[in-house]
Amino acid sequence: MEPSLENYWDQSPGQDDLSSAGPQLYTPMSPFDTDLPIQAAQSASFDSHLDQSKELSTDFSSVDLSFLPDDLNQENGEQTHSEDGHEVQREQYGSQLTEQDSGFLNDSNLSQLSYADATQPSPETSGACPPLTPMTPITPMTPVSESSGIVPQLQNIVSTVNLACKLDLKNIALHARNAEYNPKRFAAVIMRIREPRTTALIFSSGKMVCTGAKSEEQSRLAARKYARVVQKLGFPAKFLDFKIQNMVGSCDVRFPIRLEGLVLTHQQFSSYEPELFPGLIYRMVKPRIVLLIFVSGKVVLTGAKERSEIYEAFENIYPILKGFKKAS
Amino acid sequence: MSGQRKCPDCGSSEIVEDAHYAQNQLVCADCGFILTEGLLTTTFQDEEHLQEVTYSRSTGQNEQLSRCKLRGIKRVQDLCKVLYLPAVFEETALSYFQRAIEHPSFHLVSLEKKEILVGCCVFVTCRQHNWPLTMGTICSLLYADKELFASVYLCVLKELELDVPALSLTDLVKTHLNSFKLFQSSASVPAKFAEDKEKMVARTIQIVELASETWLVTGRHPIPIVTAAAYLAWQSLQPVGRLTCTFPRFCKLAGTDLPPPAHLRLKELNDILLRMASQLAWLRVLNVDKKTVVKHIGDLLQHRHFLLRSSFSSGDTEDQSATAADNDSESSPQAAGCSAQAEGCQPGGKQKCSSVRRPLLPPCLINPRKRLRTAALSPSDQAITGDEAISDSEIEQYLRSQEEMLEFRKAQAWH
Repeated sequence: MEPSLENYWDQSPGQDDLSSAGPQLYTPMSPFDTDLPIQAAQSASFDSHLDQSKELSTDFSSVDLSFLPDDLNQENGEQTHSEDGHEVQREQYGSQLTEQDSGFLNDSNLSQLSYADATQPSPETSGACPPLTPMTPITPMTPVSESSGIVPQLQNIVSTVNLACKLDLKNIALHARNAEYNPKRFAAVIMRIREPRTTALIFSSGKMVCTGAKSEEQSRLAARKYARVVQKLGFPAKFLDFKIQNMVGSCDVRFPIRLEGLVLTHQQFSSYEPELFPGLIYRMVKPRIVLLIFVSGKVVLTGAKERSEIYEAFENIYPILKGFKKAS
Repeated sequence: MSGQRKCPDCGSSEIVEDAHYAQNQLVCADCGFILTEGLLTTTFQDEEHLQEVTYSRSTGQNEQLSRCKLRGIKRVQDLCKVLYLPAVFEETALSYFQRAIEHPSFHLVSLEKKEILVGCCVFVTCRQHNWPLTMGTICSLLYADKELFASVYLCVLKELELDVPALSLTDLVKTHLNSFKLFQSSASVPAKFAEDKEKMVARTIQIVELASETWLVTGRHPIPIVTAAAYLAWQSLQPVGRLTCTFPRFCKLAGTDLPPPAHLRLKELNDILLRMASQLAWLRVLNVDKKTVVKHIGDLLQHRHFLLRSSFSSGDTEDQSATAADNDSESSPQAAGCSAQAEGCQPGGKQKCSSVRRPLLPPCLINPRKRLRTAALSPSDQAITGDEAISDSEIEQYLRSQEEMLEFRKAQAWH
């Protein structure tokens, strides 16, 4: 199921930007998505399809797919048919979207798919129309032409683990090369390892905080290495309750952003004080992520416990930011 | 008691003060008419001076509040008086302060922070009423540390769940220029340096708006921009005598500080103005440079919309011929100049054009600092599962040998 779904999305950008070609029944979820061109001329030809799609339920098996070519590896003449077919599907999604009243699409599918979409190789050329298997209904999501194509990069992961034994910090600082301990300044040993490049704070209660890793797996591996070091130093360290506490990601939207405008329209979420900090602090409610948005277009996302929250938050903010791109 | 009174009933002036069940009454000695009863003032002196006794002084309210709250309330009132704020602001600030001081995160903080809390409440009130007050002003009035103020301010916003609208630059310009001492000639301000306030405010606002359109304002501290704009406006209103006056000297004349970033803002503004000047046909002949562009600020501001469009490409640098076509709609000499320049460029190749017209972007994007960009996770990193085996040798590299430990012990004083 997953591969065909990815291929479905994959094909659309390959054919001549559907945003300009197809009729968009997609009603913008945020009021700032005003730059979707709605081709009135072409929509007329799809009226019959539209009526059909509006009556249909979410069950795709009743959709009439007979216009799809049997042989999918054909020239461009046939291509348009498949394009139409995708349009019908899209319209169905569009009609379902109008029924929803959510301000932000919050399905985890969205984040996973957009992530998957962004890492796809260059879209296939003509003739790559896969068979449309009757799909199980999924929550409709933003069409591909809306997704940003930018994936936030994880920069830092903070995790904690319980070693479950009392530790003698002076002893550790004496026996370990990579440890520093200054009890007057801070009541923990600061230990570093080279691979993965991380830092750990080890407390005498046996609790440990591991920071600096670039992925969840790296963080876990690093925490295990620190636990092994402590074990080798003679303490009966275990590895209990490993938990990722915070994830930080960053990315670049590649256009400058009018922060003054953004704080006016999204006042309840944003805080922009140029006297204090050059960036705008946007506290997104769902998912609960804090974004730092800068005039250069760079965005920092923090406060996530899961990778998908970062991707979802970015996909939520991207249409809003795009609304401020043309304002300059 | 109050001065002589006459009994309204019989007219005699024999009024005595008598107590009826410990309630003071003024009674006429002749007819027994009760003039007043139940006087409810607290202090004899206030009554004597015929002053109204305030509610807070007549009730036991002040005894109920702790000393810290009382002091805080007084400080809020003092601060509002110093800033000449309307009475409404004082009430709002007081209510915020009383809410905040009850809150656990502010109840037991240091005195310094409580003082800053006073400033924060007043600041939030002003911002909510769009009264242009900067944090710098409050910090200087309270002798507060700016960073501490910033953290307390953010804490207050979060705990009290307050919404603060953005600072309006136009109002800020007016307020900031009010404090300048340039509007009348005096001992320190020669006549040729004195300037009419309205004209200067108007021109400064225009320059600040120009800066805001060209991305010089977003993300930056507002006061240095206002100061630099005021300097340019002042110079341009009478360039003859003022071109030789330097920026620091101007600030000293005006009686205001010169914030360090203001020099950079001035440079950026001059750069923008020079680019605009290069699009005005009659200025191109004059060869303006950054010293002399000030003289023409009036013209540049007048035509600023057109000049901005023609000096800066709108994002993509390719469509210069398109914008040259746009210029035809404007007055002809300027259009002729621009299209001539565009045509002159095109045969010469694109390289020359791109240096003449840069995209309209914030300065941080035009001069990006060379920063070490962290690469994306390499494929080997991506393959980590977190459960790999950890070799002993890898861990042992982090442990000290016996000799090292002896050396370390010798070096350590405290062990």
